[in-house]
Amino acid sequence: MSGRNVLVTLKNRLPEIRRLSAAVEAYGEVQAIPDKVVFQVNLALDELLTNIISYGYADGAEHEIAVRLSLDQRTLTVEIEDDARPFNPLDRPPPDLEAPLEARPIGGLGVHLVRTFMDSVEYRQDEGRNRLTLRKTLA
Amino acid sequence: MDVTEERLTDLLILAPRGRVDSSTSKAFEERVLGHLNNGEKRLLVDFSGLDYISSAGLRVFLMAAKRIKAAQGTLVLCAMNANVREVFEVTGFSALFAIYPTREETLRSLGP
Repeated sequence: MSGRNVLVTLKNRLPEIRRLSAAVEAYGEVQAIPDKVVFQVNLALDELLTNIISYGYADGAEHEIAVRLSLDQRTLTVEIEDDARPFNPLDRPPPDLEAPLEARPIGGLGVHLVRTFMDSVEYRQDEGRNRLTLRKTLA
Repeated sequence: MDVTEERLTDLLILAPRGRVDSSTSKAFEERVLGHLNNGEKRLLVDFSGLDYISSAGLRVFLMAAKRIKAAQGTLVLCAMNANVREVFEVTGFSALFAIYPTREETLRSLGP
């Protein structure tokens, strides 16, 4: 860990997300990032990584996922890079947040939380790797 | 994840502690379902010990809301911190529940 950038590598197992959370919290403390932003970034990472880990790999093998955090002026950039199958979580239609109880969807809520809490979310494919870039401008 | 339980006559108060996320939501769901299956109809979930919830956790509350509604019971929530409250707001989940700032206000509101 040096300066304002940090790289965390995770295995594709759900418990790894907790380790990432702890690293993000530590980074947030060092960089004096407001608690609310740390919460929202951790939630966004949790939602996206849960999907990647749960649905992204069909081979039962161990894979690595790279998460990079960087702070430039007042913009925090979070990048998730993986070699899971090509998947753009932004393709999903937004959930109906006003449906009556019986018809309320659960699917799509995770991505909705990511889009709501982050200022921008971009997906691209890069030589067979998925790249998600999240940005949040700090006040 | 630890869930403390308290009973006030026919009101069951559950207070989960820590996080409700993809690794803890199953256990939390089983706890809540267990009570609903036992016929509990008045539930208060006290969030004062909960500092994090993800969509996996929201799923549990959606399930509980549907079950309680079918049983014509009551499920209310209280004492959320600002971050958790915002998760409920931006997902539209705050419209599904009565959410009180404190346990005391909840109990006053629910009556004897």
